[in-house]
Amino acid sequence: MNLFGMLRAMSLRTKVVLPVSALLIVVILSISILLIRQQATGFRRELETTGETMVRMLAINVESGVLFESKYELEEAMNVLKRFDVVEYASVANNDGEVLAEIGDWLDDYSELSISVIEKNQSTHRDCEHYHIENPHGQEFIELIVPITSRIEQLDRETLGITGFGRALDPAVFTERIGSVRLILSLETVNVAIAEAQKTVMTLTAVVLILSLMILTSFVRFFTRPIRKLVEATDQIGRGDFSRKVDIVQQDEIGQLAATFNRMVDSLKQSRDEIENYNRTLEEKIIERTLELEEAQAQLIQSEKLSAIGQLAAGVAHELNNPLGGILGYTQFALEKLSKVDPEAVKTDDIASYIRYLTDVESQARRCKTIVQNLLRFSRSSRTSELDEVDINRIIDDTCAFVGHQLSMNQIELIVEKQDNLPVIHGNASQLQQVFTNLIINAMHASPPNTRIKLVSRLSPALGEFGGAVEILCVDQGVGMPKEDVKRIFEPFFTTKEVGKGTGLGLSVSYGIIREHGGEIKVDSAPGKGTTFTIILPVQKPATGSDTQSKDFPAATMRKSD
Amino acid sequence: MPAILVIDDSEVIRNLLSDYLTELGHQVDLASDGQQGVEMALQGEYRIVFCDIHMPKKNGWEVYQEVSKIKTQLAFVMTDSLPDELAKMAQEAGARRCLRKPFDLSEVRETVEQILSPAETR
Ligand SMILES: Nc1ncnc2c1ncn2[C@@H]1O[C@H](COP(=O)(O)OP(=O)(O)OP(=O)(O)O)[C@@H](O)[C@H]1O
Ligand SMILES: [Mg+2]
Repeated sequence: MNLFGMLRAMSLRTKVVLPVSALLIVVILSISILLIRQQATGFRRELETTGETMVRMLAINVESGVLFESKYELEEAMNVLKRFDVVEYASVANNDGEVLAEIGDWLDDYSELSISVIEKNQSTHRDCEHYHIENPHGQEFIELIVPITSRIEQLDRETLGITGFGRALDPAVFTERIGSVRLILSLETVNVAIAEAQKTVMTLTAVVLILSLMILTSFVRFFTRPIRKLVEATDQIGRGDFSRKVDIVQQDEIGQLAATFNRMVDSLKQSRDEIENYNRTLEEKIIERTLELEEAQAQLIQSEKLSAIGQLAAGVAHELNNPLGGILGYTQFALEKLSKVDPEAVKTDDIASYIRYLTDVESQARRCKTIVQNLLRFSRSSRTSELDEVDINRIIDDTCAFVGHQLSMNQIELIVEKQDNLPVIHGNASQLQQVFTNLIINAMHASPPNTRIKLVSRLSPALGEFGGAVEILCVDQGVGMPKEDVKRIFEPFFTTKEVGKGTGLGLSVSYGIIREHGGEIKVDSAPGKGTTFTIILPVQKPATGSDTQSKDFPAATMRKSD
Repeated sequence: MPAILVIDDSEVIRNLLSDYLTELGHQVDLASDGQQGVEMALQGEYRIVFCDIHMPKKNGWEVYQEVSKIKTQLAFVMTDSLPDELAKMAQEAGARRCLRKPFDLSEVRETVEQILSPAETR
């Protein structure tokens, strides 16, 4: 992870505390170091000044002692110095460098570098030499050397009366160097004092540093705590808990932020509650609507049944009344005519017309019989009957054998595609055969010669809820049907066929049979293109009892496809 | 002899009315659906029309409306196998009678005689 990555990963507090404390440490440390330095130089300067004063005083005091080379006088003058601890060594020497008097022990050994000159300072007065030295033991000293001057010559001349020489002479001209004073001061005490001062400053620095860091962290915490609180609250809200409020009572921006945040949470909570409420009411509404729909559907089924019965009655009446009208009319006509006729003089013409009337009566009576039979079939099929296990492919074979002759007479080819190993169906074989037969005959009636009719049986992709289903398709290439007809083909007595060819009951009977099997029958047709009827039969046995049956498999499952 | 037009999709009814009315001495023409019936009624000179209600192409009520608009003197006898709105509408609009199938021949004769009687002003 690079530096930026690390920086980004740091918490806000670390981000603030780390650089600020680093800066603080640097500043405070440099200030204290500076302070110590200044203190140290201050101490040294003080010592140097004191030493210079001492050495100068000494130089003045030892003047006569040097002149007269009086050791006693010199020692007397130097004894004062013994009172100062800092004075390590002092000596007075004449111009030849010969030491006339000294106090303390000092071993000059420049040659072996055992005493090193740390620095040579220029003193305020030019005549004062000034060294900072260190002995082999690491002790530091200050060495001061001052020349000893004498004005004796001037005094001598005065006593000799040289002043009488006109103009006065500059006394400096007569100042003469007669030797030098050397003073070595120990820096020990000063260094100890410096060390002491250093210690104090260091402790102070440490205290200040620790204190300021503490103040800084608590200060930062004071700022980051509300932010942390906000973060925690946001986290909680993110997990869907809206109960948490941020309790920050500040008037500043963070306080405002917290207040805004709380408001936001409130409105969020409100809208979430609203949504939940909507959801709940929606669910309730859906349930309500579903119930309503179910009720409406039940009613619809009921009314459809009623209207189906009404339609059936109307259809029966309509279908029967024409042939009955013929029978009634011709019988009355014949009776009327015969009642007027002289039996002796019956003409052959008359007999021929009577035969014609009676033939009509017979055929109309027959038609009535067919209608009634079909009707009975229809009514029987809508009663619950025993269902056996049947093999759809067997029924198809039987049907083909039954209609095959008729088809070939009409030059129509029947193609049968049966899928092997179809599951058995709980059904009524003869009813199903009746359904298939009607489909094929219908297709045949609609098909021109030299066309094909295809009969297919296969496993249905639909109706998984029944635990599988079998599908039977009857496809023709015939005339097809317009939409208006497709809507009506399942109505009883709806037929487009000429009288004697169809009663219009075939499909309505089929409808009843298939519904009884819990299946559905669909039609897809287009004029001129042909027609496909699809029957889907569930494998499982449907619930028995006509009441539950119509509930489980309502008319809606039988779609009149359009 | 005034002519009669029979409009009915049922062959047996057409034949019966044709046979019977011819026997009674009328000239009878036949139409097997509503469209054909309208065309014939407008072209020919008829006195009475027997018109079925339930027919393909045009129902009896439509035939009545179209024809009676032009041939206001033409007498309409509606035939129907069921009590039907259309028959009632035609009768209210001015059709002379409605015969319920299966009808008696005597009803047919009575109706025809009534319409053709001298008392009849229309
Ligand atoms: N394959 C088809 N192609 C075109 N029209 C069809 C086809 N099957 C049925 N129809 C139409 O549907 C009508 C109703 O058929 P339905 O089987 O109910 O009665 P029908 O065949 O006329 O008489 P019935 O079956 O009682 O002898 C038919 O008269 C026909 O107009
Ligand atoms: Mg049929």
